[in-house]
Amino acid sequence: MNRALTVARLQFVAWPLVVGWPWGILASSFLINLAIFASIGDADPEPTTGGLASIYIVMFIACVNVIIQEFPFAMGLGMSRRSFYLGSLLHFVGQAIVYAGVLHLLSVVEKATGGWGLDLTFFGLPFLLVENPVLRYLAFAIPFLLLGFLGFAIALVFKRWGINGMLTLSTAAFVGIGGLAALTTWRGWWPAIGGWFADQSGGALLVGWPALLALPLAAVSYLIIRRATP
Amino acid sequence: MEDGRPLFLQIAELLENSILDGTLAEEGQVPSTNELAAFHRINPATAAKGVNKLVDDGTLYKKRGIGMFVSSGARAKLRGRRRDEFARQYVQPLLTEARKLGIDPAELKHMIDTWEETR
Amino acid sequence: MSPVVTVTDLTKRYGGVTALDGVSFSLAENRIYGLLGRNGAGKTTLMQILTAQNFATSGDVAVFGQHPYENERVLSRISFIKESQTYPSALRVHHVLRAASLVHPCWDEELAQQLVDDFRLPPRRNVRKLSRGMLSSLGIIVGLASRAPLTFFDEPYLGLDAVARQIFYDRLLADYTEHPRTIVLSTHLIDEVSDLIEHVLLIDRGRLLLDVEAEALRGQVLTVAGPVAAVDEFTRTGAELHRVLLGGAARATVRGDFGPTDHDRARALGLTLEASSLQDTVVRLTTATNGAAPATVGATSKEAVR
Repeated sequence: MNRALTVARLQFVAWPLVVGWPWGILASSFLINLAIFASIGDADPEPTTGGLASIYIVMFIACVNVIIQEFPFAMGLGMSRRSFYLGSLLHFVGQAIVYAGVLHLLSVVEKATGGWGLDLTFFGLPFLLVENPVLRYLAFAIPFLLLGFLGFAIALVFKRWGINGMLTLSTAAFVGIGGLAALTTWRGWWPAIGGWFADQSGGALLVGWPALLALPLAAVSYLIIRRATP
Repeated sequence: MEDGRPLFLQIAELLENSILDGTLAEEGQVPSTNELAAFHRINPATAAKGVNKLVDDGTLYKKRGIGMFVSSGARAKLRGRRRDEFARQYVQPLLTEARKLGIDPAELKHMIDTWEETR
Repeated sequence: MSPVVTVTDLTKRYGGVTALDGVSFSLAENRIYGLLGRNGAGKTTLMQILTAQNFATSGDVAVFGQHPYENERVLSRISFIKESQTYPSALRVHHVLRAASLVHPCWDEELAQQLVDDFRLPPRRNVRKLSRGMLSSLGIIVGLASRAPLTFFDEPYLGLDAVARQIFYDRLLADYTEHPRTIVLSTHLIDEVSDLIEHVLLIDRGRLLLDVEAEALRGQVLTVAGPVAAVDEFTRTGAELHRVLLGGAARATVRGDFGPTDHDRARALGLTLEASSLQDTVVRLTTATNGAAPATVGATSKEAVR
């Protein structure tokens, strides 16, 4: 466990960059949106941007990077795969917990200031109708975990099986999703599926299902890394 | 260090030379194996082996906790031993080469006698 | 004293390529080993398996008495510096040193700073902007300052000039003297390290050709030249590795347990005699046409050491 903590600290030695990238990108996205909607005035009475997604995308890339760059470095310094995985998890989950808290806080401020005086919804989650604060917090946190573990898993497939592994994985995904889509069209299931999504609560879409997907990804990543070579 | 001969022998020989030419006085302290290793850029274990060879044959002795010292009488003993080796190392090849060139022993002796003068 | 590393019948295959072929040896505590061999001989693979960065196909390794795979107790006592080490692109030199100091329990920060000065490494420069030689220096600093009980240097000096390499050898020797530990120096610049290493492991095409004291190897390989009959006479006492003929004269490289009397004997036979350097010895052994010969020679050399 001590070694896992060391790995977490290892990934934080250049911390201004670790923190700087996600928040820098998010801040610039926010400022640009603010400027745009301030200048165009009342064209859209209650504008909603997709800018919040930027921080999730940056964190996804950061997790890919952890496997591609930090894994060979940590192995070179004599870390076990288990410690590296646990440490990376700590490092990443720790960030997710804090970042989700900050995002939640910003969404509260956004609401209190009347959308920064512009009725702008940047940090808020409009389709999450639940007012439960815990659920709202989790709705910020859990998608980080889903994307993070997805990043780990994909990068590990590359690390362990190389370009052939990636080609196999993407072919399988393409054929699988394409096949399902074709099947759905053929059987005329689209309305049913649309209805299923519509019936899901915001909480289920942003918290429940992502959590259910993140767990097996985390487990699979661990199994892959145990036999991976840097 | 030169190739071809075990390094520890070369180290031992260097120390012997220093004792013979008086650089290392009898009852004087000898550089430590670590100093020798650093100076000659060799493995400390090798330097220690060279020093130990001289301890074993009585040229050096160990003062516990202080270091290595040159035994008294070491210089005379070394000189005696080197004199024995001198014949094998220098006289034998000299005679072999002289024979090859058809220089007979009398002529060789004359060359040695007059060498200093002709220079 | 139990050995620091024990390797038993280790084999590694990549697809159809055999990188290591039934290698067995052990490493004793607090000695400097030279792991020698040509590029692609299997040196790096061997060290990767010993540090659990790669997996053996068959055979067994024990480091500090245990298998290194996922073994924190073992891994925390190893430092493995390799030429191909990559660093996260966001890091600067001082970040890498900070990271290494977090990982290695015996890290000496003062030594690290001293070495940064010695190698003139800019501490605030990003690792991506370091030259090949600077990257090598960074690895060397991590390897020395970590003071790990078992330290591997795998071709650590790529891109380093002669001055920097000499700094490396001097600092290595000085720090090893003060803080003895087991060091494995993998290199093909054999002449430069031949005086530093105490024991030679020579690998060629995945096989261990030599496992012998460096001192025992010194002077064991001689090149004699002269009339064929005289050369024949002399080489009967050793294993002939190589011969060139010119008219009635021959030049032969011989391996044997030679001493001063053999030198006298060569002179008496009218032969010129030249002792091979460690580098020449290794070249001769790894280029010997008969693949079986060097292995048996390796076996006799071990007997000579005893």
